[in-house]
Amino acid sequence: MTDPNALENNPFKELGEIPENKYDNGYTLNSTYITVRDGVKIAATICLPKGLSPNDKIPTLLTQTRYWRAMELRIPFRWLFDSMITNAPNPEIVTSRGYSLIYTDVRGTGASSGTRIIPFSEEEVKDGSDIVDWIITQPWSDGNVVSKGISYTGTTAELFSGNNHQAIKAVMPGHGFWDPYTDVAFPGGCYDHAFMQMWSFLGKNLDLNSPKVFSQIMPEVWLFVKGVKAVSSDMDLKLLQDAITQHKSNLYVYEHTVKRDFRDDKLPDGTIFDDLSIFARKEKIESSKVPILAWCSWYDSGYGDAIINRFMNLSNPTIAILGDWTHGAGLPANQFYPDRTIVTPKPRDRINAWLNFFDKCVYGDGIQGKIIYYYTLAEEKWKKSRVWPPKGHSYQKWYFSENYSLTREEPATDVGADNYKINFRTTTGRNNRWWALLGLPITYYNRNKIDEKLLCYTSQPFGADTEITGQIILCLYLASTHEDGAIFAYFEDVDEKGNVTYVTDGEFRLIHRKVLSTEPPYKILIPYHSYNKEDAAPLVPGEITEVKFGLHATSVLIKKGHRIKIAIAGADKDTFIRYPKEGRPTITISRNKEFPSYIKLPIITKE
Amino acid sequence: MEEIIPSLKGMLKDATNIKSDATRFEITITVLTKIKGNVADPDEILVMLKMFGGLKEDVPMEININNDTQIIELKFQTEEDFKKIQKIMETIWDDAVDMLEQASQGDFSRIKNIPKIDD
Repeated sequence: MTDPNALENNPFKELGEIPENKYDNGYTLNSTYITVRDGVKIAATICLPKGLSPNDKIPTLLTQTRYWRAMELRIPFRWLFDSMITNAPNPEIVTSRGYSLIYTDVRGTGASSGTRIIPFSEEEVKDGSDIVDWIITQPWSDGNVVSKGISYTGTTAELFSGNNHQAIKAVMPGHGFWDPYTDVAFPGGCYDHAFMQMWSFLGKNLDLNSPKVFSQIMPEVWLFVKGVKAVSSDMDLKLLQDAITQHKSNLYVYEHTVKRDFRDDKLPDGTIFDDLSIFARKEKIESSKVPILAWCSWYDSGYGDAIINRFMNLSNPTIAILGDWTHGAGLPANQFYPDRTIVTPKPRDRINAWLNFFDKCVYGDGIQGKIIYYYTLAEEKWKKSRVWPPKGHSYQKWYFSENYSLTREEPATDVGADNYKINFRTTTGRNNRWWALLGLPITYYNRNKIDEKLLCYTSQPFGADTEITGQIILCLYLASTHEDGAIFAYFEDVDEKGNVTYVTDGEFRLIHRKVLSTEPPYKILIPYHSYNKEDAAPLVPGEITEVKFGLHATSVLIKKGHRIKIAIAGADKDTFIRYPKEGRPTITISRNKEFPSYIKLPIITKE
Repeated sequence: MEEIIPSLKGMLKDATNIKSDATRFEITITVLTKIKGNVADPDEILVMLKMFGGLKEDVPMEININNDTQIIELKFQTEEDFKKIQKIMETIWDDAVDMLEQASQGDFSRIKNIPKIDD
């Protein structure tokens, strides 16, 4: 949770005061099928402000989901509410601000017909354009459409802009990826087995209209949800049953990624991970010139990096926001303040701020240029910048040294190395940045105890407050007893009392260590690894090799008197696949004149 | 959902009228809110009793649902069965909301006791 008193540069304040409501009588709820170009029927739920006169023309906020656009409730709750909208935004707020709100089930999901082989397919993206064509012919439409979402729906909103439809005026991807290979499926080339399996399991059950899945992963939802809401005209539920029958042909990412390793491995339809990405559709999105408000948290999977990559690589007018909450901002996640229980800003205030952005794009001059707002942990302040990295940025190297220390001085001796036998029971548990994608809290607590199993290097107390903003780069000169392996590195703050607070981490599979000098597919500020098959190479046991990779971006103030710590593991058992599959490697990290392992901190010096 | 949980108990009590007839072994639930479509299916009644009422076994009962009047009639063959369900119905709305509230706070202990339900 950001500090509610952090008002300076606060993006939610800078988006403007909340205007008076345009409608105050609640909203109507209807549903229909929108038939798209190839005959697939897209289920749509439509919320309109009550009291809309025939002369009133209003813009539309569209959210396209794969998690059921609306839910049929169990009795007795169905006797109170006709249905429940699956996803934010809250229809009462949106309609009172003078927008119609439309939720759709993307093809192959919910009550929509069709099948899906991969998520975010070209056909799924094109459906957005057909839906807009339908919207702007409705009697209440003023011809303007905006789109927003969180996570999957955030990505559909962003890809939606690439349709280049003149009615699309702005999009707001929240907590979405930029590069699905590194941001979610294979961070650092390590397979996020936990999320990929759970997400596919959830998706498959949703597509088959089986609420039983909730009893296992979201029991509180199972208590009141019976299934997906059928379209109201589908009285005998025949169309819903037909849709579910078609969904049986769907494929799920876990099944076709769990035995893959490389970025260029083919998906079942012949595409590769990059084809699902935002960066591969950069040209289309840029040519739309649609303003983008992208927001996320430093702590959410690799999606914080996605915000920065999007900011650096897309030319669209952009507001980017990086805070300190969980995936979707449901809960606070600031590890420096574990006792905070309420997320700031409150959801209602956040949605109103988002609507201010849409108002600017629909009724005003839109937004000009690009700006990024980021929250500095421990300092508890919002900052803003027109460029990334922010002004005052420079790198500061800290070397691994004797007695498990981190120092500013380069090693002067010819010897110096530390051995570490990989402990495959090491885990960050199920409340980490990766499980957070399933809506779970983020709690990297008690790092002191966990670090006892890891290879740690700690600095002396800092002599002055120091801001670190960006991606820390870790460079290890290591040898291993095995041909495969992975490094999980945790960057931590240690206070005067010795309390250890997680700041960020990075993971990296060692076979991908080759740093390429060729142009990466998009601008990055960390060493470029292709993760392609042709660039992968097994380690040569006993041979020292350079392993250099970036940790997930952060912004933190290391206070005067605090120390920094880098803790190294070789596994995170409840989240990632084990590398290697068998055996227990010992790694040797060199820290000498010839092989000086180090971390490079992105420091911000105030001008 | 969390925002409305505290008011759900009152809303459910206002939205329903439950009456028991001990001489005829009958319980009637009248749904007072206007429902679009079916007020309930017989299977849903059984799921509700097991999920929120803690009913562990199958109790023989005749379930009649009138979607026009929104009246649900439960008829039992024995006094024992009637009393069992009558007792459940006395607190079922409170129990349902308490269960939901606990689950939304991460306490799934009561959910674990729910018998197998055919979803």
